[in-house]
Amino acid sequence: MPDIELEDLLRGLAPQVLGAVVRHYGHFDTAEDAVQEALLAAATQWPKDGIPDNPRGWLITVASRRLTDLLRSEQARQRREDTVARWTLPGQLLAPAADRTPAESDDTLILLFMCCHPSLSPASQIALTLRAVGGLTTAEIARAFLVPEATMTRRISRAKQRIKDSGIPFRIPPGPERAERLGAVLHVLYLIFNEGYASTSGPTLQRTELSAEAVRLARMVHRLLPDDGEVAGLLALMLLTDARRPARTGPDGDLIPMAEQDRNLWNAAYIAEGVALITDALPRGATGPYQLQAAIAAVHGEAPTAEATDWPQIMALYGLLMRISDNPMVALNQAVAVAMVRGARAGLDLLAELEADERIAEDHRLHAVRAHLLEMTGDRVAAHDCYEAAARRTTSLPQQRYLHARAARLTE
Amino acid sequence: MKYIILTYASQQDYDGLAGKASGKSAWSAQDFAALRAFMDKFNKDLEESGELVETRGLAAPVHTRRVGGGLHKGVPVVTDGPYAETQEVLAGYWVVECESFDRATEIAAGLGKAPGPEHVAARAFADVRPIAEFQADTEL
Repeated sequence: MPDIELEDLLRGLAPQVLGAVVRHYGHFDTAEDAVQEALLAAATQWPKDGIPDNPRGWLITVASRRLTDLLRSEQARQRREDTVARWTLPGQLLAPAADRTPAESDDTLILLFMCCHPSLSPASQIALTLRAVGGLTTAEIARAFLVPEATMTRRISRAKQRIKDSGIPFRIPPGPERAERLGAVLHVLYLIFNEGYASTSGPTLQRTELSAEAVRLARMVHRLLPDDGEVAGLLALMLLTDARRPARTGPDGDLIPMAEQDRNLWNAAYIAEGVALITDALPRGATGPYQLQAAIAAVHGEAPTAEATDWPQIMALYGLLMRISDNPMVALNQAVAVAMVRGARAGLDLLAELEADERIAEDHRLHAVRAHLLEMTGDRVAAHDCYEAAARRTTSLPQQRYLHARAARLTE
Repeated sequence: MKYIILTYASQQDYDGLAGKASGKSAWSAQDFAALRAFMDKFNKDLEESGELVETRGLAAPVHTRRVGGGLHKGVPVVTDGPYAETQEVLAGYWVVECESFDRATEIAAGLGKAPGPEHVAARAFADVRPIAEFQADTEL
């Protein structure tokens, strides 16, 4: 079996195995270490000895045994420290009652809920999700986030300690809390995707892998909750956004704005899948922000050329999005859509209102949009100055190069 | 043993890299792409040899805030962009963990092969400095 396939198999099994072990024995923090060791053992043994008949069972057995060892040594240490040993070792437990073994799909969801617990910082939520549910090693996560491995190790163990201390039960949160916690999970997946997509710094390869990982996890959640519109919306949004990646940068790594991208380079399969997902989800009631953003991305994705873009529809969708989200970036995009429908002047009027919003007033994107709109009105001097103002406000070199190039074009 | 490799650049150098023509010629798209490819490989090689602890590039000097250097109405003075246009300041660093000072020097020397316009290459340099370590077992 090729390495890649084995890795996919192991990472797909990782949350199921961890879920099963934690459900039976508790001790999320130690169990997580035990499962990582079991995965490592499988990665070294299976290529030599062949894949066992029941890979999941093999991993659960090895992880449980390892958990027993880890808890024994912890218990011994505790006893040495003269503390009451109060843990039950896995071997001393009776087989779990039938009513304690619901579908393994629930286990994966519960793990996601735990890893994205609101008591953790976003950085910890992301790291823990990638390790416990994504099955990535600490070293891989550290590389993706460009931090030393020791830093990531500490971040993960602190997060696990926090979960342990808070005594969160291993179950699906009840009632309204469930929706709220699912929202946190989706937000973490969205952050992981953006980390890989938006970043232009650092070793590029590992960053794109983060987007791929976010898509994989979103697919998994969508499989578990096929009727949830926002889950479908998030997956669609990721696919429709990622579809444009091949066209986003030129051969020299320069940024290319959507209007100038070669649409033949867009990933047609991703667009088709994203459009199908959002088309299916939208009519099913309560339309949340991910579905609206996906719908906007779908309108772009379906336009054969930039000129053929259905801007009135995009403007209407941003209007809906504005009603449910107080995000200045949404307002900025709304101004672009308005400019495309009603003319650059109308867009500039909206920007003037945004300048009072200190969350975005100093953001390079506000200045870049104003520069574009001024260019549309034919005011080359003002547009030039705005491109330069935008370049001064971003720390990203590729963005600076793009903005300077736009400015230079206007003085030719 | 850990070492830090430091590189330096002025605001003018950053402007050139960002494609802004200010006195000196701006980097072309090809030059910029070549540098990125070089740096990607340089970092990847260090990562694979297990010697890379961390590396970062810093934003342009103009984005610096200097805190201190006196008090104003009882609070430290904050100065935006304290550097002169041509003043060379810290631009990036690599923390490497390797067997010897010579190996760290060899790594830093590799940076000298970075592609770029001639006027940049002629002046470029890197400093290598050992990172102080505090070992618990030094008490006698």
